[in-house]
Amino acid sequence: MPQMGVSVAEGTIVEWHKRVGDWAERDEVIVEISTDKVETEVPSPESGRVTEILVEVGTTVDVGTVLARLDTSASPGEPHVEEKLTVDSSQLTETPPVTPVVRRMAAEHNIDLSQVRGTGRRGRVTKKDVLAFMKQWGEREPQPEPVLHIESPYEDEELSTVNRQPSTGQPLSPMRRSIAEHMVRSLQTAAHCTTVVEADVSAVEAARGRLSYLPFVARAAIAALREFPQLNATLENDRLYVHDEVNLGVAVALGDDGLIVPVVKNAHELSHEGLASRIADLAERARSKRLSPDETKGGTFTITNPGRYGALLATPIINQPQVAILDLEAVVKRPVVVGDAIAIRPMTYLCMSWDHRALDGVLAARFLSSVRHHLEGWNG
Amino acid sequence: MAEMTYLQAISDGLREEMRADDSVFCLGEDIGAFGGAFKVTDGFAEEFGADRVWDTPLAENAIIGTAVGAAVEGMRPVCEMQFADFISCGFDQLVNVAAKMHYRQGLAVPMVVRLPSGGGFSGGPFHSQNPEAWFLQAPGLKVVAPSTPEDAKGLIAAAIRDPNPVCFMEHKHLYRRAKGEVPDGRYQTDLGRVRVAREGTDLSVIAYGAMVPVALEATEDVDGASVEVIDLRSLVPLDRDGILESVRKTSKVVVLHEATRSCGVGAEVAALIAEEAFEDLDGPVVRVTAPDVPIPFSPPLERAVLPQVDDVKEACRELVSY
Amino acid sequence: MAMTSARPAALPARDADPALALNRADRSALLRFMLLMRATEERALTLYRQGKVPGSYYDGRGQEATCVGAAFALGAEDRACILHRDMGAHLVRGVPPGRILAQMMGREGGITRGRDGNMHFGDRKLGCVGMVSMLPDMALVACGMALAFQMRREPRVAMTWFGDGSTANGQWHEAMNVAGVRKLPVVFVLENNQFAYSTPNDLEFAVDPVERAATYGFPGVKVDGNDVEAVFEAAAEACERARVGGGPTLIECETMRMHGHGAHDDMRYVPAEMLEEWSKRDPIEAYTAKLRADGIDVEAIEKSVAEVLERETEWALAQPMPDPATTTDDVFADADPELGDGQAPWSRWSPARETV
Repeated sequence: MPQMGVSVAEGTIVEWHKRVGDWAERDEVIVEISTDKVETEVPSPESGRVTEILVEVGTTVDVGTVLARLDTSASPGEPHVEEKLTVDSSQLTETPPVTPVVRRMAAEHNIDLSQVRGTGRRGRVTKKDVLAFMKQWGEREPQPEPVLHIESPYEDEELSTVNRQPSTGQPLSPMRRSIAEHMVRSLQTAAHCTTVVEADVSAVEAARGRLSYLPFVARAAIAALREFPQLNATLENDRLYVHDEVNLGVAVALGDDGLIVPVVKNAHELSHEGLASRIADLAERARSKRLSPDETKGGTFTITNPGRYGALLATPIINQPQVAILDLEAVVKRPVVVGDAIAIRPMTYLCMSWDHRALDGVLAARFLSSVRHHLEGWNG
Repeated sequence: MAEMTYLQAISDGLREEMRADDSVFCLGEDIGAFGGAFKVTDGFAEEFGADRVWDTPLAENAIIGTAVGAAVEGMRPVCEMQFADFISCGFDQLVNVAAKMHYRQGLAVPMVVRLPSGGGFSGGPFHSQNPEAWFLQAPGLKVVAPSTPEDAKGLIAAAIRDPNPVCFMEHKHLYRRAKGEVPDGRYQTDLGRVRVAREGTDLSVIAYGAMVPVALEATEDVDGASVEVIDLRSLVPLDRDGILESVRKTSKVVVLHEATRSCGVGAEVAALIAEEAFEDLDGPVVRVTAPDVPIPFSPPLERAVLPQVDDVKEACRELVSY
Repeated sequence: MAMTSARPAALPARDADPALALNRADRSALLRFMLLMRATEERALTLYRQGKVPGSYYDGRGQEATCVGAAFALGAEDRACILHRDMGAHLVRGVPPGRILAQMMGREGGITRGRDGNMHFGDRKLGCVGMVSMLPDMALVACGMALAFQMRREPRVAMTWFGDGSTANGQWHEAMNVAGVRKLPVVFVLENNQFAYSTPNDLEFAVDPVERAATYGFPGVKVDGNDVEAVFEAAAEACERARVGGGPTLIECETMRMHGHGAHDDMRYVPAEMLEEWSKRDPIEAYTAKLRADGIDVEAIEKSVAEVLERETEWALAQPMPDPATTTDDVFADADPELGDGQAPWSRWSPARETV
């Protein structure tokens, strides 16, 4: 802690500009401190690699206290453990190639390759890696969605090996910050309510073949939006815009980076197969960072389908400035009453969060009911 | 069954066919009294007579051309080129008369041309070639290249019984070095079918002729990978299904042949795989071959040119880790 | 352009061998086949000029005696490798002119069904093996067939034709050598028609090829290639020699190619006086005169040939083109060869024949 004035006896850490393992050039700002409410940037006395940070943000210490340590014998280019981890976790600018067999297997079995750990050269996902992944998670195709019993198939170790949090905390990436900002703003803007309807998807099950449930739910939702166009709307500055065209946003997970919502424009013109292929294309391009900015704008309704990790229900946050968002979670075989008998049916909860400023619960319920109706009566 | 060398197996197969059918006869340079440059027909003149074991003049076109004439008249001639390299002296009769006859005239030409091929013994540029790829460009010729004694006997018999001209690539290096169990009596090995020399799951090595034992030795341990070795043994017709089946299983392929690289049989196999099994590939199709150079005479030069066990092992290792 | 070597002196007189005699029917047949060849070739040339014959067109005008005379000596079980100027040999073996015309037009009814063109054919059912472009490859094939006869101890003969140019080629020498070494029952008919395309004899060889036969170990004879009976006698004698194990014979037939190498060739390299001289020795004109003098009704033969040609042309023009879907069929054989027997119109083989 430097002495920033004759009478200053102590200082507070405001923000560290470097973490352990980072390289600091001499005179480069390494930390911001506050003394007598004056904030100052402190330049690094030497060039070196930060090996220890001893005082946390917000802590006040006496002048002269050692705040951090630098290894001045290190060289800038040397990789070090945490740098390597950062580099490995999809900050590669060059994506290793996807070989034909891997691409085919991923398509056939509906596998998100960004979820598969690659052991080939340059981190390539090999055929063996895909086979191992399939063995672990079971085949999606041609079997239906995994049947939940009591325990969830979710296992967290596989996906987060590259994400060990360093003990000193990690600043949010720009994308995460952006998502964070959007989510908070949405919650502060809209009057969030969530309505849930339960649907029997056995008809979809019979028809879906290699496709997932998502295109079917999308198609059913679009049909319901035609009946209840007030949900196909955006609310901006107290003005409600009810849209003719359905531009369907579909949330796509980007692994650790977060998520993005590309938009299927004029989705009302597409069959479920058309929706399936458009969604797949957008998702692939989203993951390989090849979306154009246009493709994330202009949505009128959003569907989110976080994946096969076993959650039953969720309360999604509305994608501003839309008035509703539909969440599709797990499909689970359950005993249900059909007529007066008990049948085993694949059931799912359709969870929609909606903006109480723009509509009321009755409308929400009726809309969801319509979605269920379309799904349960699916005949291609 | 009896254990015998590759060379003995060819003799055995030829002898069985000549005993069974009077219309089978041999013609070539020095095959009679001398028993053939490599002794494949040793003892044949004594058993079958000079008529059926004809010591021809030094004239390859004459050997092949008269064989065509005899074959269309219902005989089953088995020509010997003293070295495969000398086929170029009889090339005209082989590719213009023999190969095209049935397509044009509907007239079958049941003949065999035996071609002692390959290097590895300082034979130099004119006694070491593997010219089989030339024949793939002459539609109408069948081509076989056994690597084991059992297949050598079965394929020479099948070649003789085939109503088409068949080029029989007998690799000189295997003559005495390849030994194995061979069934007694007459039998034929079907053309157009591969032999799985070793089953595996991680990588396929596709080879023929003298390279099959090289492939087997090189892939005994490639970083613990399970390597499948496919012996093509029939080049025309090629067992497309057999090749593709292996590729679908392992998704990684090394194609190996002793012949020179450009437009060799390996190029044909690689193109076939790229065309028909693209979506089964988890890595590039790699060829290990001799480079495009006449086979040199001096041992260190020759060794540098012919694919060695280490070359194959290295290529496999590279591909396994891709 | 040099003239040919001097015309041979008259051949030494021979007593007619009764076994080789020709009766009236035989002689009529000889004329008939020559007339049929000429008429068919003239018709084919017309079709070619009408655009119905693709590729090139080659004929043997002026050489009718060489092929008809020699082929006439063959028995049914004998075999022939016939060349492009020897249409008469195909006719003698029994190939109808219509099939030859269809062959030239690349039609389904042709002997190769469109797989090969012009004179590159041989009806295997009639014991003929079709030629290839490379010359004289067929000489070796004929040796091979002769070898089969020899090994099986059959009194059968293989006959093959080739031109003066072929005698410069390595394969001719390989064939002559092999035939001589093994004493194969093969008859080599050398049609010396004075030119190999545009190359005259004195640029082709230093020694008259007939003399080479001796150096390969067997007889060579030279005959007037435009005298059909002389050619026949030489061929019949050679076949006899072969049948009894006497080995091969080279028969050099001196003749003249009256048209170009092909229809595309204007023959500018042939001296006008040479053509003039040989046109006076036309084989058909000469033989017609001879037979007429012997009281044979040559007009009836001519008329019959004309009628046949009309019928055969009509048939050929009605043949369809081959189906492209079959293009890659039959590269390989499924069954062993079937080389059948040809017709043998000579009265020695078919005493009861009444030709014409």
